[in-house]
Amino acid sequence: MVLSLLVILPFVVHAQDPRLQLSSLDHLAGKANQTVDVNVDERLMKMAAKLFNEKDADERQVKKLVEGLKGIYVKSFEFDSAGQFTTADLETIRTQLRGPGWTRLVNVMSKKEGNLEVYLLFNGEQVGGLAVLHSDEKELTVVNIVGPVDLDKLAELEGQFGVPELGIEKTKKN
Amino acid sequence: MKDDYLWDKTGQPDPEIQKLEEILGSLRYQPKPLELPLELPVSRRRNYLPLLAIAASLLLALVAGGIWLRARTQRAPQLHEAQYVVPPSPIEARKPEPITPKPVAPREEIVVNHKPRHRSVAPVLSKREHEEAVAAKEQLMMALRLTTEKLSLVHRKTQNPTPANQIKNQHRVG
Repeated sequence: MVLSLLVILPFVVHAQDPRLQLSSLDHLAGKANQTVDVNVDERLMKMAAKLFNEKDADERQVKKLVEGLKGIYVKSFEFDSAGQFTTADLETIRTQLRGPGWTRLVNVMSKKEGNLEVYLLFNGEQVGGLAVLHSDEKELTVVNIVGPVDLDKLAELEGQFGVPELGIEKTKKN
Repeated sequence: MKDDYLWDKTGQPDPEIQKLEEILGSLRYQPKPLELPLELPVSRRRNYLPLLAIAASLLLALVAGGIWLRARTQRAPQLHEAQYVVPPSPIEARKPEPITPKPVAPREEIVVNHKPRHRSVAPVLSKREHEEAVAAKEQLMMALRLTTEKLSLVHRKTQNPTPANQIKNQHRVG
């Protein structure tokens, strides 16, 4: 009990932080047959933004989306067989997402697709971060976007650069 | 001769003439030194020569500066274009466009049609920074692709729920 508290405590301390601590999942990389690890902090985000071509409408949209973001962090593991990660691994992430400010927008539980959760962090009325947690038998993916995520702009990316159509309705602006 | 007196004062003078001489003698010219009044208004002529010299120098400097700038900007575009060329991003690489060589304008036309160019606002990245930015951009695009893929899955599931799925929307945690 004390041991589990000691494990969870650091994540509770970071609960209000829009950036999730994903390092607890690093040990899964050794078991996975495919790992995606994206760490783009604010500095890299600004550098990458310089490469977007303003004359290209698609790239301009992506640039608009990432402007103002503080970072994008992704950890995704695909395994050959089931049972390579445990509920405790997921809990290290969920514990942070239960902190104040985070709101779970959607929780989809599917036998075929696994469990999908979408969280938003609200600073007052402003969105301060986004988290997506997807787990099924052979896959575990965590996406963490830090900063004011504009879902309208995200919806505008549909069908571009291999981004699938989401069908997200744009919110009406007054 | 009576009239000789009138010409050279010889001969017998005429009393009438002598009388007239006495009367008009007071008005005779009497040489005396020029006396200038003490408070004579002096009108100084302004000497514009130094001012003209300064104006001419300034004008010459301006003309020389203009010629120098013109000569400099005629050579600058080539350097400018070489400096700010950004290599095509992986996204651009996927959509190759045929490269059409630009017709080279005659030198005279360049000079005549030359317009002062505004310097590009895109800062120059060093080679290392550029490589870092390209890698960051790739990571960014991968993260966005993964995020939108997951959101698409969520959208699909929430729009077409199967009875086996358990969906909870707008559930606030924390």
